[in-house]
Amino acid sequence: MTATLTAPGALRADDGRLVLEVAGVVDEVPGTRTLVLRRPGGGLLPAHPPGSHVVLDCGDRRNAYSLTGDGSPCEEYRVSVLLCPDGEGGSAFVHRLAVGDIVSASRPRSAFAPVSTARHHLLVAGGIGITPMLSHARAAVRWRRSFELLYRHRPGAGAHLDELRGLCGDRLTAYTSTPEMLAAVRAALADRPLGTHVYVCGPTPLIGFVEETAAELGWPGERVHAERFSADLDAGEPFTAVLARSGSRVPVPSGTSLLTALEQAGVAVPNLCRQGVCGECRVPVRSGRPLHRDLYLSETERAAGDAVMCCVSRSVDDELELDL
Amino acid sequence: MGAEHTSVPRWGSEWPAPDPSARTVLLVGFGARGCAITAAWAADVPAGRPVEVLAADDADESVLAVLTARIAGARVGWRLMLAGPEDDVLAARAVALRAGVLDAEIRCAVTSTDRKRVYCPHCRATTTTTAPVAGETPCEGCARRLHVYAHVSRRAGAYLGFMADAEEVA
Ligand code: FES
Repeated sequence: MTATLTAPGALRADDGRLVLEVAGVVDEVPGTRTLVLRRPGGGLLPAHPPGSHVVLDCGDRRNAYSLTGDGSPCEEYRVSVLLCPDGEGGSAFVHRLAVGDIVSASRPRSAFAPVSTARHHLLVAGGIGITPMLSHARAAVRWRRSFELLYRHRPGAGAHLDELRGLCGDRLTAYTSTPEMLAAVRAALADRPLGTHVYVCGPTPLIGFVEETAAELGWPGERVHAERFSADLDAGEPFTAVLARSGSRVPVPSGTSLLTALEQAGVAVPNLCRQGVCGECRVPVRSGRPLHRDLYLSETERAAGDAVMCCVSRSVDDELELDL
Repeated sequence: MGAEHTSVPRWGSEWPAPDPSARTVLLVGFGARGCAITAAWAADVPAGRPVEVLAADDADESVLAVLTARIAGARVGWRLMLAGPEDDVLAARAVALRAGVLDAEIRCAVTSTDRKRVYCPHCRATTTTTAPVAGETPCEGCARRLHVYAHVSRRAGAYLGFMADAEEVA
Protein backbone atom coordinates (compact mmCIF):
# COMPACT_ATOMS: atom_id res chain seq x y z
CA MET A 1 0.00 0.00 0.00
CA THR A 2 1.46 3.29 -1.05
CA ALA A 3 0.12 6.79 -1.11
CA THR A 4 2.04 9.85 -2.07
CA LEU A 5 1.56 13.46 -1.17
CA THR A 6 3.34 16.73 -1.07
CA ALA A 7 4.45 17.80 2.38
CA PRO A 8 5.40 21.45 2.50
CA GLY A 9 7.81 22.61 5.20
CA ALA A 10 4.93 24.07 7.19
CA LEU A 11 3.69 20.68 8.35
CA ARG A 12 1.95 20.89 11.67
CA ALA A 13 4.16 19.44 14.37
CA ASP A 14 2.85 15.92 14.95
CA ASP A 15 3.35 14.86 18.48
CA GLY A 16 4.81 11.45 18.79
CA ARG A 17 6.40 11.24 15.38
CA LEU A 18 9.06 8.59 15.36
CA VAL A 19 12.67 9.23 14.45
CA LEU A 20 14.00 6.11 12.81
CA GLU A 21 17.30 4.98 11.40
CA VAL A 22 17.61 2.88 8.29
CA ALA A 23 19.21 -0.24 9.75
CA GLY A 24 19.03 -2.36 6.66
CA VAL A 25 18.15 -2.25 2.99
CA VAL A 26 17.04 -5.44 1.24
CA ASP A 27 16.53 -5.64 -2.52
CA GLU A 28 14.87 -9.02 -2.79
CA VAL A 29 13.23 -8.66 -6.19
CA PRO A 30 13.96 -6.07 -8.88
CA GLY A 31 12.18 -2.79 -8.24
CA THR A 32 11.06 -3.54 -4.70
CA ARG A 33 13.13 -2.37 -1.77
CA THR A 34 12.59 -3.33 1.84
CA LEU A 35 13.72 -0.92 4.55
CA VAL A 36 14.49 -2.10 8.05
CA LEU A 37 13.85 0.81 10.45
CA ARG A 38 14.93 1.02 14.09
CA ARG A 39 15.24 3.65 16.76
CA PRO A 40 18.73 5.14 16.45
CA GLY A 41 19.65 3.98 19.95
CA GLY A 42 17.62 0.77 19.74
CA GLY A 43 14.56 0.05 21.87
CA LEU A 44 10.99 -1.05 21.39
CA LEU A 45 8.74 0.55 18.80
CA PRO A 46 4.97 0.91 19.29
CA ALA A 47 2.96 -2.26 18.72
CA HIS A 48 0.17 -2.08 16.16
CA PRO A 49 -2.72 -4.13 14.76
CA PRO A 50 -1.84 -6.17 11.66
CA GLY A 51 -2.42 -4.24 8.42
CA SER A 52 -1.25 -0.89 9.88
CA HIS A 53 0.85 1.68 8.04
CA VAL A 54 3.18 4.52 8.88
CA VAL A 55 3.39 7.83 7.06
CA LEU A 56 7.03 8.39 6.15
CA ASP A 57 8.59 11.77 5.38
CA CYS A 58 10.13 11.36 1.94
CA GLY A 59 11.92 14.61 1.21
CA ASP A 60 9.25 17.08 0.17
CA ARG A 61 6.39 14.64 0.46
CA ARG A 62 4.88 12.05 2.75
CA ASN A 63 4.09 8.47 1.82
CA ALA A 64 2.04 5.85 3.64
CA TYR A 65 3.64 2.41 3.76
CA SER A 66 2.27 -0.78 5.27
CA LEU A 67 4.25 -2.37 8.07
CA THR A 68 4.90 -5.99 7.20
CA GLY A 69 5.47 -7.31 10.74
CA ASP A 70 2.80 -9.02 12.80
CA GLY A 71 2.40 -5.97 15.03
CA SER A 72 3.60 -7.30 18.35
CA PRO A 73 6.11 -5.09 20.16
CA CYS A 74 9.51 -5.29 18.51
CA GLU A 75 12.61 -3.23 17.79
CA GLU A 76 12.21 -2.89 14.06
CA TYR A 77 9.64 -1.99 11.46
CA ARG A 78 9.88 -3.16 7.89
CA VAL A 79 8.30 -1.55 4.86
CA SER A 80 8.58 -2.67 1.23
CA VAL A 81 8.45 -0.03 -1.44
CA LEU A 82 7.92 -0.55 -5.14
CA LEU A 83 9.85 1.93 -7.24
CA CYS A 84 7.35 3.84 -9.38
CA PRO A 85 9.40 5.68 -12.02
CA ASP A 86 6.31 7.66 -13.06
CA GLY A 87 5.23 8.37 -9.48
CA GLU A 88 5.50 11.57 -7.49
CA GLY A 89 9.02 10.85 -6.33
CA GLY A 90 8.34 9.38 -2.90
CA SER A 91 9.31 5.87 -3.91
CA ALA A 92 12.46 7.18 -5.62
CA PHE A 93 13.36 8.91 -2.35
CA VAL A 94 13.00 5.64 -0.48
CA HIS A 95 15.09 3.86 -3.09
CA ARG A 96 17.90 6.38 -2.54
CA LEU A 97 18.02 5.79 1.23
CA ALA A 98 21.08 4.01 2.62
CA VAL A 99 21.91 2.31 5.88
CA GLY A 100 22.45 4.92 8.59
CA ASP A 101 20.06 7.52 7.10
CA ILE A 102 17.54 9.01 9.51
CA VAL A 103 13.87 9.29 8.57
CA SER A 104 10.80 10.60 10.34
CA ALA A 105 7.60 8.58 10.44
CA SER A 106 4.17 8.79 12.04
CA ARG A 107 3.22 6.31 14.69
CA PRO A 108 1.49 3.27 13.15
CA ARG A 109 -2.07 3.88 12.01
CA SER A 110 -4.59 1.09 11.75
CA ALA A 111 -7.23 1.19 9.04
CA PHE A 112 -7.13 -2.40 7.81
CA ALA A 113 -7.09 -4.67 10.84
CA PRO A 114 -8.30 -8.28 10.87
CA VAL A 115 -11.71 -8.86 12.48
CA SER A 116 -10.96 -10.73 15.69
CA THR A 117 -14.23 -12.67 15.65
CA ALA A 118 -13.79 -13.98 12.09
CA ARG A 119 -13.95 -17.74 11.70
CA HIS A 120 -11.65 -17.66 8.67
CA HIS A 121 -9.63 -14.95 6.91
CA LEU A 122 -9.45 -14.92 3.11
CA LEU A 123 -6.53 -12.69 2.08
CA VAL A 124 -6.29 -11.45 -1.52
CA ALA A 125 -3.22 -9.52 -2.70
CA GLY A 126 -2.12 -8.12 -6.04
CA GLY A 127 1.46 -6.93 -6.61
CA ILE A 128 2.89 -4.68 -3.91
CA GLY A 129 -0.53 -4.96 -2.21
CA ILE A 130 1.08 -7.98 -0.58
CA THR A 131 2.62 -5.79 2.14
CA PRO A 132 -0.36 -5.47 4.53
CA MET A 133 -1.26 -9.09 3.75
CA LEU A 134 2.17 -10.23 4.89
CA SER A 135 1.41 -8.54 8.20
CA HIS A 136 -2.01 -10.25 8.37
CA ALA A 137 -0.51 -13.64 7.48
CA ARG A 138 2.20 -13.35 10.11
CA ALA A 139 -0.33 -12.42 12.79
CA ALA A 140 -2.67 -15.22 11.69
CA VAL A 141 0.17 -17.75 11.99
CA ARG A 142 1.22 -16.36 15.34
CA TRP A 143 -2.28 -16.42 16.79
CA ARG A 144 -3.27 -19.65 14.99
CA ARG A 145 -6.09 -18.03 13.10
CA SER A 146 -7.56 -19.84 10.13
CA PHE A 147 -6.53 -18.10 6.90
CA GLU A 148 -5.52 -18.50 3.27
CA LEU A 149 -3.71 -16.12 0.93
CA LEU A 150 -4.21 -15.69 -2.80
CA TYR A 151 -1.38 -13.65 -4.33
CA ARG A 152 -1.01 -12.42 -7.89
CA HIS A 153 2.47 -11.21 -8.82
CA ARG A 154 4.47 -10.58 -11.95
CA PRO A 155 6.61 -13.51 -13.13
CA GLY A 156 9.93 -13.38 -11.31
CA ALA A 157 8.95 -10.35 -9.24
CA GLY A 158 6.92 -11.74 -6.37
CA ALA A 159 7.85 -9.59 -3.39
CA HIS A 160 8.23 -11.69 -0.22
CA LEU A 161 7.31 -14.86 -2.11
CA ASP A 162 9.88 -17.17 -0.50
CA GLU A 163 9.16 -15.79 2.93
CA LEU A 164 5.43 -16.28 2.38
CA ARG A 165 5.92 -19.85 1.20
CA GLY A 166 7.78 -20.66 4.40
CA LEU A 167 5.25 -18.83 6.55
CA CYS A 168 2.01 -20.01 4.95
CA GLY A 169 2.82 -23.40 3.41
CA ASP A 170 -0.17 -24.64 1.45
CA ARG A 171 -2.29 -21.76 2.70
CA LEU A 172 -0.58 -19.64 0.03
CA THR A 173 -1.51 -19.92 -3.63
CA ALA A 174 0.51 -17.66 -5.92
CA TYR A 175 -0.51 -16.76 -9.46
CA THR A 176 1.29 -15.06 -12.31
CA SER A 177 -1.81 -15.18 -14.53
CA THR A 178 -4.57 -12.68 -13.79
CA PRO A 179 -7.41 -14.81 -15.23
CA GLU A 180 -6.32 -17.75 -13.06
CA MET A 181 -6.10 -15.52 -10.01
CA LEU A 182 -9.56 -14.06 -10.59
CA ALA A 183 -11.03 -17.54 -11.12
CA ALA A 184 -9.49 -18.66 -7.82
CA VAL A 185 -10.82 -15.59 -6.02
CA ARG A 186 -14.30 -16.23 -7.38
CA ALA A 187 -14.17 -19.90 -6.38
CA ALA A 188 -13.10 -18.94 -2.87
CA LEU A 189 -15.83 -16.32 -2.52
CA ALA A 190 -18.38 -18.87 -3.72
CA ASP A 191 -17.71 -21.34 -0.93
CA ARG A 192 -16.30 -20.28 2.41
CA PRO A 193 -17.67 -20.89 5.91
CA LEU A 194 -20.11 -18.35 7.31
CA GLY A 195 -18.00 -16.14 9.54
CA THR A 196 -15.26 -15.68 6.93
CA HIS A 197 -14.00 -12.16 6.24
CA VAL A 198 -12.22 -11.24 3.00
CA TYR A 199 -9.39 -8.68 2.81
CA VAL A 200 -8.03 -7.30 -0.44
CA CYS A 201 -5.13 -5.00 -1.25
CA GLY A 202 -3.81 -4.34 -4.73
CA PRO A 203 -4.62 -2.50 -7.93
CA THR A 204 -8.06 -0.89 -8.20
CA PRO A 205 -9.42 -3.43 -10.71
CA LEU A 206 -8.60 -6.30 -8.34
CA ILE A 207 -10.33 -4.54 -5.45
CA GLY A 208 -13.33 -3.83 -7.66
CA PHE A 209 -13.48 -7.47 -8.75
CA VAL A 210 -13.43 -8.72 -5.17
CA GLU A 211 -16.06 -6.23 -4.01
CA GLU A 212 -18.40 -6.90 -6.92
CA THR A 213 -18.01 -10.67 -6.88
CA ALA A 214 -18.47 -10.81 -3.11
CA ALA A 215 -21.66 -8.75 -3.33
CA GLU A 216 -22.97 -10.92 -6.16
CA LEU A 217 -22.30 -14.05 -4.09
CA GLY A 218 -24.19 -12.73 -1.07
CA TRP A 219 -21.34 -11.37 1.08
CA PRO A 220 -22.57 -8.49 3.25
CA GLY A 221 -20.28 -5.46 2.98
CA GLU A 222 -19.26 -5.94 6.62
CA ARG A 223 -17.36 -9.08 5.63
CA VAL A 224 -15.39 -7.34 2.84
CA HIS A 225 -12.34 -5.18 3.64
CA ALA A 226 -10.26 -3.30 1.08
CA GLU A 227 -7.03 -1.32 1.34
CA ARG A 228 -6.68 1.02 -1.61
CA PHE A 229 -3.76 2.83 -3.16
CA SER A 230 -5.04 6.34 -2.66
CA ALA A 231 -3.47 7.54 -5.92
CA ASP A 232 -5.83 5.20 -7.79
CA LEU A 233 -9.11 6.62 -6.55
CA ASP A 234 -11.91 6.58 -9.07
CA ALA A 235 -13.99 9.65 -9.89
CA GLY A 236 -16.84 8.60 -7.60
CA GLU A 237 -20.59 9.15 -7.76
CA PRO A 238 -21.98 12.69 -7.58
CA PHE A 239 -23.66 13.76 -4.32
CA THR A 240 -24.68 16.92 -2.48
CA ALA A 241 -22.97 18.30 0.60
CA VAL A 242 -25.45 20.03 2.89
CA LEU A 243 -23.80 22.58 5.18
CA ALA A 244 -25.78 22.39 8.38
CA ARG A 245 -24.81 25.78 9.78
CA SER A 246 -25.27 27.93 6.71
CA GLY A 247 -27.98 25.75 5.22
CA SER A 248 -26.30 25.91 1.83
CA ARG A 249 -26.11 22.99 -0.55
CA VAL A 250 -22.89 22.24 -2.42
CA PRO A 251 -23.09 19.84 -5.36
CA VAL A 252 -20.08 17.51 -5.64
CA PRO A 253 -19.87 16.20 -9.21
CA SER A 254 -18.14 12.97 -10.17
CA GLY A 255 -14.43 13.68 -10.57
CA THR A 256 -14.43 16.62 -8.13
CA SER A 257 -13.41 16.05 -4.54
CA LEU A 258 -15.57 17.23 -1.67
CA LEU A 259 -12.66 19.43 -0.59
CA THR A 260 -12.44 21.11 -3.99
CA ALA A 261 -16.22 21.57 -4.12
CA LEU A 262 -16.20 23.20 -0.68
CA GLU A 263 -13.33 25.50 -1.66
CA GLN A 264 -15.11 26.52 -4.83
CA ALA A 265 -18.17 27.33 -2.71
CA GLY A 266 -16.00 29.62 -0.58
CA VAL A 267 -15.63 27.31 2.42
CA ALA A 268 -12.05 27.13 3.65
CA VAL A 269 -11.02 23.74 5.01
CA PRO A 270 -7.49 23.17 6.33
CA ASN A 271 -5.65 20.64 4.21
CA LEU A 272 -2.19 19.46 3.32
CA CYS A 273 -1.87 16.28 1.36
CA ARG A 274 -5.17 16.18 -0.53
CA GLN A 275 -4.58 12.44 -0.76
CA GLY A 276 -6.23 11.09 2.36
CA VAL A 277 -3.07 10.57 4.35
CA CYS A 278 -2.28 13.51 6.61
CA GLY A 279 -5.50 13.96 8.57
CA GLU A 280 -5.72 17.75 8.17
CA CYS A 281 -8.97 18.01 6.25
CA ARG A 282 -11.24 16.17 8.67
CA VAL A 283 -14.80 17.50 8.58
CA PRO A 284 -17.56 16.54 11.05
CA VAL A 285 -20.57 14.73 9.59
CA ARG A 286 -24.07 15.17 11.01
CA SER A 287 -26.03 12.79 8.82
CA GLY A 288 -25.66 10.65 5.75
CA ARG A 289 -23.19 7.79 5.40
CA PRO A 290 -19.64 8.76 4.42
CA LEU A 291 -17.84 6.69 1.80
CA HIS A 292 -14.42 6.56 3.43
CA ARG A 293 -11.54 6.38 0.96
CA ASP A 294 -8.73 7.81 3.10
CA LEU A 295 -5.84 6.08 4.81
CA TYR A 296 -6.07 8.18 7.94
CA LEU A 297 -9.17 7.31 9.96
CA SER A 298 -9.07 4.17 12.08
CA GLU A 299 -11.73 1.51 11.61
CA THR A 300 -13.48 2.65 14.76
CA GLU A 301 -13.52 6.21 13.49
CA ARG A 302 -14.85 5.04 10.14
CA ALA A 303 -17.56 2.96 11.74
CA ALA A 304 -18.67 5.92 13.86
CA GLY A 305 -19.40 7.75 10.59
CA ASP A 306 -19.26 11.16 12.25
CA ALA A 307 -16.26 12.54 10.38
CA VAL A 308 -14.91 12.42 6.86
CA MET A 309 -11.57 13.25 5.24
CA CYS A 310 -13.00 15.54 2.59
CA CYS A 311 -10.01 15.48 0.21
CA VAL A 312 -10.74 11.92 -0.93
CA SER A 313 -13.87 10.62 0.75
CA ARG A 314 -17.36 10.93 -0.62
CA SER A 315 -20.90 9.92 0.31
CA VAL A 316 -22.80 6.66 0.12
CA ASP A 317 -26.08 8.56 0.30
CA ASP A 318 -27.24 11.25 -2.12
CA GLU A 319 -26.72 13.84 0.59
CA LEU A 320 -24.05 14.24 3.24
CA GLU A 321 -24.81 16.75 5.96
CA LEU A 322 -21.67 18.40 7.31
CA ASP A 323 -21.27 20.36 10.52
CA LEU A 324 -19.95 23.42 8.65
CA MET B 1 -19.80 -2.96 25.90
CA GLY B 2 -21.37 -0.23 23.77
CA ALA B 3 -22.05 -2.23 20.65
CA GLU B 4 -23.13 -5.26 22.67
CA HIS B 5 -26.09 -3.50 24.18
CA THR B 6 -28.77 -1.62 22.42
CA SER B 7 -31.97 -0.28 23.77
CA VAL B 8 -35.29 -1.99 23.23
CA PRO B 9 -35.51 -3.03 19.57
CA ARG B 10 -38.03 -1.19 17.46
CA TRP B 11 -39.47 -3.67 15.02
CA GLY B 12 -40.75 -2.07 11.85
CA SER B 13 -44.50 -2.14 11.38
CA GLU B 14 -43.91 -3.90 8.07
CA TRP B 15 -42.23 -7.24 7.80
CA PRO B 16 -38.97 -7.34 5.91
CA ALA B 17 -38.69 -9.20 2.61
CA PRO B 18 -36.03 -11.82 1.85
CA ASP B 19 -32.65 -10.32 0.99
CA PRO B 20 -32.32 -10.55 -2.82
CA SER B 21 -28.57 -11.17 -2.45
CA ALA B 22 -29.11 -14.28 -0.29
CA ARG B 23 -27.76 -17.51 -1.77
CA THR B 24 -29.31 -19.87 0.79
CA VAL B 25 -31.92 -19.05 3.39
CA LEU B 26 -33.05 -20.56 6.67
CA LEU B 27 -36.52 -19.49 7.78
CA VAL B 28 -37.62 -20.14 11.35
CA GLY B 29 -41.24 -19.55 12.35
CA PHE B 30 -42.47 -19.58 15.95
CA GLY B 31 -46.17 -20.24 16.57
CA ALA B 32 -48.95 -20.17 13.98
CA ARG B 33 -48.48 -16.50 13.06
CA GLY B 34 -44.74 -16.83 12.75
CA CYS B 35 -45.13 -19.89 10.53
CA ALA B 36 -47.60 -18.07 8.29
CA ILE B 37 -44.94 -15.40 7.74
CA THR B 38 -42.19 -17.91 6.97
CA ALA B 39 -44.50 -19.57 4.43
CA ALA B 40 -44.97 -16.23 2.70
CA TRP B 41 -41.21 -15.58 2.79
CA ALA B 42 -40.49 -19.01 1.30
CA ALA B 43 -42.58 -18.05 -1.71
CA ASP B 44 -40.68 -14.76 -2.05
CA VAL B 45 -37.14 -16.14 -2.05
CA PRO B 46 -35.82 -15.88 -5.63
CA ALA B 47 -36.00 -19.14 -7.57
CA GLY B 48 -32.96 -21.36 -7.45
CA ARG B 49 -31.90 -20.36 -3.93
CA PRO B 50 -32.14 -23.25 -1.46
CA VAL B 51 -34.58 -22.51 1.36
CA GLU B 52 -35.08 -24.47 4.54
CA VAL B 53 -38.15 -23.77 6.68
CA LEU B 54 -38.29 -24.72 10.35
CA ALA B 55 -41.56 -24.52 12.27
CA ALA B 56 -41.52 -24.44 16.05
CA ASP B 57 -43.82 -23.68 18.97
CA ASP B 58 -41.16 -21.63 20.71
CA ALA B 59 -37.41 -21.09 20.86
CA ASP B 60 -36.66 -24.03 23.14
CA GLU B 61 -33.32 -25.78 23.56
CA SER B 62 -33.90 -28.25 20.75
CA VAL B 63 -34.80 -25.56 18.22
CA LEU B 64 -31.80 -23.46 19.23
CA ALA B 65 -29.57 -26.55 18.92
CA VAL B 66 -30.79 -27.09 15.36
CA LEU B 67 -30.14 -23.43 14.60
CA THR B 68 -26.62 -23.68 16.03
CA ALA B 69 -25.92 -26.74 13.88
CA ARG B 70 -27.21 -25.00 10.74
CA ILE B 71 -24.98 -21.98 11.41
CA ALA B 72 -21.96 -24.23 11.90
CA GLY B 73 -22.53 -25.74 8.47
CA ALA B 74 -23.46 -22.53 6.64
CA ARG B 75 -21.36 -20.82 3.96
CA VAL B 76 -21.08 -17.07 3.37
CA GLY B 77 -24.19 -15.95 1.46
CA TRP B 78 -26.50 -17.70 3.95
CA ARG B 79 -29.28 -15.67 5.53
CA LEU B 80 -31.46 -16.21 8.58
CA MET B 81 -35.05 -14.98 8.83
CA LEU B 82 -36.99 -15.25 12.07
CA ALA B 83 -40.72 -14.74 12.61
CA GLY B 84 -42.79 -14.99 15.76
CA PRO B 85 -43.21 -13.49 19.23
CA GLU B 86 -40.43 -11.17 20.33
CA ASP B 87 -39.08 -13.42 23.08
CA ASP B 88 -38.55 -16.31 20.67
CA VAL B 89 -37.11 -14.11 17.94
CA LEU B 90 -34.70 -12.43 20.36
CA ALA B 91 -33.57 -15.77 21.81
CA ALA B 92 -32.88 -17.19 18.34
CA ARG B 93 -31.21 -14.00 17.15
CA ALA B 94 -28.95 -14.01 20.20
CA VAL B 95 -27.80 -17.55 19.40
CA ALA B 96 -27.01 -16.47 15.83
CA LEU B 97 -25.16 -13.30 16.87
CA ARG B 98 -23.09 -15.20 19.41
CA ALA B 99 -22.15 -17.66 16.65
CA GLY B 100 -20.79 -14.80 14.53
CA VAL B 101 -23.75 -14.16 12.23
CA LEU B 102 -23.93 -10.45 11.37
CA ASP B 103 -26.96 -8.21 11.75
CA ALA B 104 -26.84 -7.79 7.98
CA GLU B 105 -27.46 -11.55 7.67
CA ILE B 106 -30.55 -11.68 9.90
CA ARG B 107 -34.06 -10.35 9.27
CA CYS B 108 -36.84 -10.53 11.82
CA ALA B 109 -40.62 -10.20 11.90
CA VAL B 110 -42.12 -9.85 15.37
CA THR B 111 -45.77 -10.82 15.74
CA SER B 112 -46.20 -9.75 19.37
CA THR B 113 -44.21 -8.19 22.17
CA ASP B 114 -46.41 -9.37 25.05
CA ARG B 115 -43.97 -11.93 26.39
CA LYS B 116 -40.50 -10.85 27.45
CA ARG B 117 -37.40 -12.67 28.53
CA VAL B 118 -35.81 -10.93 31.50
CA TYR B 119 -32.23 -11.61 32.48
CA CYS B 120 -31.38 -11.54 36.17
CA PRO B 121 -27.86 -10.21 36.74
CA HIS B 122 -27.92 -11.52 40.29
CA CYS B 123 -28.40 -15.24 39.56
CA ARG B 124 -28.05 -15.16 35.73
CA ALA B 125 -31.35 -16.95 35.17
CA THR B 126 -33.69 -15.82 32.41
CA THR B 127 -37.38 -15.50 33.24
CA THR B 128 -40.24 -15.27 30.77
CA THR B 129 -42.90 -12.78 31.78
CA THR B 130 -45.79 -10.77 30.40
CA ALA B 131 -44.88 -7.81 32.62
CA PRO B 132 -44.48 -4.56 30.65
CA VAL B 133 -41.24 -2.59 30.45
CA ALA B 134 -40.82 -0.78 33.80
CA GLY B 135 -43.05 -3.43 35.38
CA GLU B 136 -41.98 -6.15 37.79
CA THR B 137 -41.63 -9.92 37.71
CA PRO B 138 -40.32 -12.49 40.18
CA CYS B 139 -37.06 -14.10 39.02
CA GLU B 140 -37.53 -17.81 38.32
CA GLY B 141 -33.97 -18.44 39.44
CA CYS B 142 -33.63 -16.59 42.75
CA ALA B 143 -37.16 -15.29 43.42
CA ARG B 144 -35.95 -11.69 43.70
CA ARG B 145 -38.46 -9.13 42.49
CA LEU B 146 -37.03 -7.88 39.19
CA HIS B 147 -37.73 -4.51 37.64
CA VAL B 148 -37.96 -4.93 33.82
CA TYR B 149 -35.50 -2.37 32.59
CA ALA B 150 -35.92 -0.78 29.11
CA HIS B 151 -32.70 -2.31 27.89
CA VAL B 152 -32.23 -5.37 25.68
CA SER B 153 -28.95 -7.22 25.48
CA ARG B 154 -28.43 -8.36 21.91
CA ARG B 155 -26.20 -11.23 22.83
CA ALA B 156 -28.42 -12.45 25.66
CA GLY B 157 -31.59 -11.76 23.66
CA ALA B 158 -33.28 -10.59 26.87
CA TYR B 159 -34.37 -7.53 28.77
CA LEU B 160 -32.22 -6.60 31.70
CA GLY B 161 -33.84 -7.04 35.10
CA PHE B 162 -32.61 -5.59 38.33
CA MET B 163 -33.66 -5.98 41.90
CA ALA B 164 -36.83 -3.93 42.37
CA ASP B 165 -36.22 -3.21 46.06
CA ALA B 166 -32.49 -2.58 45.77
CA GLU B 167 -32.68 0.68 47.72
CA GLU B 168 -34.60 -0.90 50.58
CA VAL B 169 -32.00 -3.65 50.91
CA ALA B 170 -29.15 -1.22 50.71
S1 FES C 1 -5.72 16.85 3.19
FE1 FES C 1 -4.58 15.25 4.03
S2 FES C 1 -6.09 13.82 4.60
FE2 FES C 1 -7.15 15.27 3.47
